[in-house]
Amino acid sequence: MTQPNRLQSGGRIDRSKPLTFTYNGKQYKGYQGDTLASAILANGIDVVSRSFKYSRPRGIVAAGAEEPNAILQLGASEATQVPNVRATQQELFNGLVSQATNGWPNVDTDVMSIIGKVGGKMMPPGFYYKTFMFPESLWNTYESLIRKAAGMGRSPLENDPDFYDNVNQHCDVLIVGAGPAGLAAALTVARSGARVILADEQNEFGGNLLSTKETLDGQPASAWVNAVTKELRSYDDVMLLPRSTVNGYHDHNFVTIHERCTDHLSDIAPVNQARQRLHRVRAKWVVLATGAHERPLVYSNNDVPGCMVSGAVSTYINRYGVVPGNALVVTTTNDYGYQSALDWHDAGRKVVAVVDTRANPVGERIEAARQRGIKIITGSAVIEVQGSKRVSGVSVATISADGNKVTGSVTKLGADTVATSGGWSPVIHLSSHTGSRPIWNDEIVGFVPGKTVQKQLTAGGINGCYHTGAVLLEGLNAGLEAVANVGLNAAEVVLPTAEDVKEGAPMTLFHIPHLKPTSQAPKQFVDYQTDVTAAGIELACREGFESIEHVKRYTAMGFGTDQGKLGNINGMAVAAKALNKTIPETGTTIFRPNYTPISFGAIAGRNCGALFDPKRYSAMHMWHVERGAKFEDVGQWKRPWYFPQAGENMQQSLDRECLAVRQSVGILDASTLGKIDIQGKDAREFLGRIYSNAWAKLAVGKCRYGLMCGEDGMVFDDGVSACLGENHFLMTTTTGGAARVLEWLELYHQTEWPELEVYFNTVTDHWSTLTISGPNSRKLLSELTDADVTNENFSFMDWKQITVAGVPARVFRISFTGELTFEINVQANYGMHVWKQLFKAGAQYNLTPYGTETMHILRAEKGFIIAGQDTDGSVHPFDLGMGWCVSNQKPFSYVGKRGMNRQDCIRENRKQLVGIKTKDPKVVIPEGAQAVLDPKAPIPMPMVGHVTSSYWSAHLGHSIAMGFIKGGLTKMGETVYYPLADGTVIEAEICSPIFLDPKGERQNV
Amino acid sequence: MSDMNVMTPAEMAATKAAVMDQVPGPEVQGQSPLHHADLASLAKAGTVLGAAAGGIQLREHKLLGHLTLRLNPENTDQLAAAERVLGVALPLQPLTSVEKGSYSVRWMSPDEWLILVPGLEAFDVESRFRDEMGGHYSLVNSSGGSTVLELSGADVVELLKRCTPIDLHPTVFPVGKVVSTVFAKSSAIIRRTGEQRFELVIRRSFSDYIWLWLQEVSREFGLVVKA
Repeated sequence: MTQPNRLQSGGRIDRSKPLTFTYNGKQYKGYQGDTLASAILANGIDVVSRSFKYSRPRGIVAAGAEEPNAILQLGASEATQVPNVRATQQELFNGLVSQATNGWPNVDTDVMSIIGKVGGKMMPPGFYYKTFMFPESLWNTYESLIRKAAGMGRSPLENDPDFYDNVNQHCDVLIVGAGPAGLAAALTVARSGARVILADEQNEFGGNLLSTKETLDGQPASAWVNAVTKELRSYDDVMLLPRSTVNGYHDHNFVTIHERCTDHLSDIAPVNQARQRLHRVRAKWVVLATGAHERPLVYSNNDVPGCMVSGAVSTYINRYGVVPGNALVVTTTNDYGYQSALDWHDAGRKVVAVVDTRANPVGERIEAARQRGIKIITGSAVIEVQGSKRVSGVSVATISADGNKVTGSVTKLGADTVATSGGWSPVIHLSSHTGSRPIWNDEIVGFVPGKTVQKQLTAGGINGCYHTGAVLLEGLNAGLEAVANVGLNAAEVVLPTAEDVKEGAPMTLFHIPHLKPTSQAPKQFVDYQTDVTAAGIELACREGFESIEHVKRYTAMGFGTDQGKLGNINGMAVAAKALNKTIPETGTTIFRPNYTPISFGAIAGRNCGALFDPKRYSAMHMWHVERGAKFEDVGQWKRPWYFPQAGENMQQSLDRECLAVRQSVGILDASTLGKIDIQGKDAREFLGRIYSNAWAKLAVGKCRYGLMCGEDGMVFDDGVSACLGENHFLMTTTTGGAARVLEWLELYHQTEWPELEVYFNTVTDHWSTLTISGPNSRKLLSELTDADVTNENFSFMDWKQITVAGVPARVFRISFTGELTFEINVQANYGMHVWKQLFKAGAQYNLTPYGTETMHILRAEKGFIIAGQDTDGSVHPFDLGMGWCVSNQKPFSYVGKRGMNRQDCIRENRKQLVGIKTKDPKVVIPEGAQAVLDPKAPIPMPMVGHVTSSYWSAHLGHSIAMGFIKGGLTKMGETVYYPLADGTVIEAEICSPIFLDPKGERQNV
Repeated sequence: MSDMNVMTPAEMAATKAAVMDQVPGPEVQGQSPLHHADLASLAKAGTVLGAAAGGIQLREHKLLGHLTLRLNPENTDQLAAAERVLGVALPLQPLTSVEKGSYSVRWMSPDEWLILVPGLEAFDVESRFRDEMGGHYSLVNSSGGSTVLELSGADVVELLKRCTPIDLHPTVFPVGKVVSTVFAKSSAIIRRTGEQRFELVIRRSFSDYIWLWLQEVSREFGLVVKA
């Protein structure tokens, strides 16, 4: 298939490397070096999308990131679907499959267009707010319909086969943009020995120099670009990142760069190569050399395919060897607009006319056009375009000197392409990201970066500086300033001599007048992607929206994936005129990250799938896995939840595990409990201040349960601490609370009591904790130790240093089950060995592994709380019936003392923790169920508490529960009711939370 | 010192802190936190994970003695005592480390050092500290809580840039520098031990995550496990 718009020679494409690609199901040819957009244009394809609101056919307008229409769907398979790809930025590769995203059944024959044309009248700005918001309950339905009709592409339904990368970078100077300014800056800082990153969104460096035929030192500009690039590549500390969009500029010069590593190679990345990389850069200084986007003029039907910005026409001709039409009309307010006519003419195609809004334009490009015999119509503008799927002609009329009115008659010209130039808008997006408000500059008719708190420099087009010679100099100067700022000595850089093209002054004009008033003229588009017209903006202003931020939100201007790169300034100008203000008075909206859309994959990097979040394992984890444990997440830990045997359901497994502990012996992997080693002569005093109970008299060799409260007196953690030596304690915490408790101790030590001599160190990971519990646990332990572990020598709440299974161990005789229990702590490297030895010796006692769920049941039978389950930050020790764990005899205060004595904490009728026994012993109350005293009370019933823990107790043969009841400790024996969502009501009796062995005889044998 | 395993609480109290030899006899094999990954077999097979270039080499230094020492760096008596035990002065310059024979000492914070010694020497070193040093300090054996990975190879800096936000440029992170910092979504103590060689001290419970992470981020470079 031929490429009707392809030139025989010229451009930066490689005609010896033809590529085949698919667009909307048809195969086409392009060349290595093409973008998808240039290849589409080369093949004479006009329509690439249907517009968002009106379903109008749209063609390619621009050649870079600012493209609003050619937003395509890529992907040869379901898994490789990529939405939101700007065809102007997607390099062509062999086998590329692309699809227009809106338009049904396809963009060329869109059945929606009829609806669109009718609906268009029905869809003024604010349409969604006015129509779809009510009733609110239907918004989700509306939204999906709108989305489908709008067609913004779709995400894949299958997993992405590629992997993505995040990488951290540091540099002295990050230079954004590798056009003439960026290259000059980079060369300057690189030669000075700085650490440099130079990033550019295009596949090769050079920026706008790639799109022109201009010379530097009399040579094609590419020669200078190549030489600079080669030199930069030779420095070890210079990182060159082509195909890398600096998409976010954040506080403290933290900058994110989205590098597309293999998007230009194939549908799926080559094996072991990341598809995209997100660079997270910490730069000492940033040089923004981001250039400018050409601004189209706003005239009627300016969205008909064939209407393009002038510079894009030059780019397609000069860079890609593609002339995107046959007969060109240029409509411009400035000299630069003539360049596309010159390039078009030189490519051998017909320039119908250049229409200049200025009455007497003077400049070298104008002269060059005259010399070529190009017709120039001055004091005029293209006020309207004819055509539907392609421009067929234009209406030209003379306009007033202020550009506000049509003054003469209309002349029609035949043409298939309109190149438009309304001047340039500096690319100030990144400087806006950090909150800097742009400033209007009358001289360049555009916004430039405002004051910034960042260590940021700017050079070239972003400052409204457009002549190559001046741009190079700004780059050099920014480079020198950056070098000085990072404390280096500048090396010499000699800039090449650029062509000096004399230009006349541009005319400040955005919105071209029509014979009819704006509201009645054919649509004059401001924002192509969101279908915002000049009439729409005027309407918004008439409806009372005066702030540009409100106009933006009401009309959706700049809301597209292009963030209004082409249209925003025009929109502000239209609004300013409608509000009778100047543009600086109207102000501008600002841009947010990201500059262009970025894939979720690049943001996630490797933090997905198995690596989404760390999973923490104990030293015995593999044993649990092999034993078929079900796991429960406790913080990041994977803890065995229960160990089902073949054919068992969860409850059967729990019943078996509970009975094993009560009747013989079970084993729990308690290694995840937080463990903090505390040393220093004031360790004991510190414990006394941080726990609510007393620690002054705990002897070496003894353990004690402790309750920890916040300043508000509310319980936040608990655990057993042991006195290892006179100056040495081991504190245990809950699994989930370990890090927080250590920080809590450090906080109090460092800020409140730095005079206390004490050090804290985490030893959570260091010790494996193997808890054997049950009447046979002593017998089991005796099998593996020679030490005397009799009750006489090793009593309840003692700890001993003994050898277990050949491994030195600290064994704590404490109990969370109410049974005789030994918590065996060994250095974690030996945990698995001891665990396995216990099972070897434990077979005769039916040693049964149990998990967290069984642990919860066993402790609930004993009425022991779990901090975080039976507490929620609003209960103090007395609410829990644990006043025995509060000592007010301490010479120094303790954390929470004042808090728990606040008026609200000592009032009557606070919610208190009690046991709850259902009248029907078989019924287990759902946790969270709300308690009421009168189940027949009208809704909303007065609620008096809720259930925090509730289980079936196989040992007791009935259900057990703990929960809060207002004034519960004084209501023993009274009846409460738990109405459930299904309408049933559970009747229960308030009782002691200690269901088993209230005297504690079982653990004390 | 007397055999800690037969000390009475009273005797132990006299020592102020409870010190015990936590390592069993040679008949009991310890398991590093990466025991389940069987790095030895991978090393033997010479498997390259990811890209064939094999630009990253990984070696585990397992079952070492890890001791965390905390003391006041202005206490010259304690500094002298530490030097007598270790044969080298504690590094006082932030983020630096020293090595002496098989001992290495990392500055962790203004009053904290991580000392690595051969696994069987931990108790001996601990005991000598207790004998030599007076005053307020703490010494904690954390040998079971961590393991050490050595990463080396041409691409090792590129690899680490994918794991930590720390600047690893040789002018900023020279040989001997040590930091305790973010590592993927976990943490690591990172020390540069050579131009292209780094040591990571990682926590036991996170070590499987870090091992999986290192395999994943090595894909572009290739990972070879060394014995």
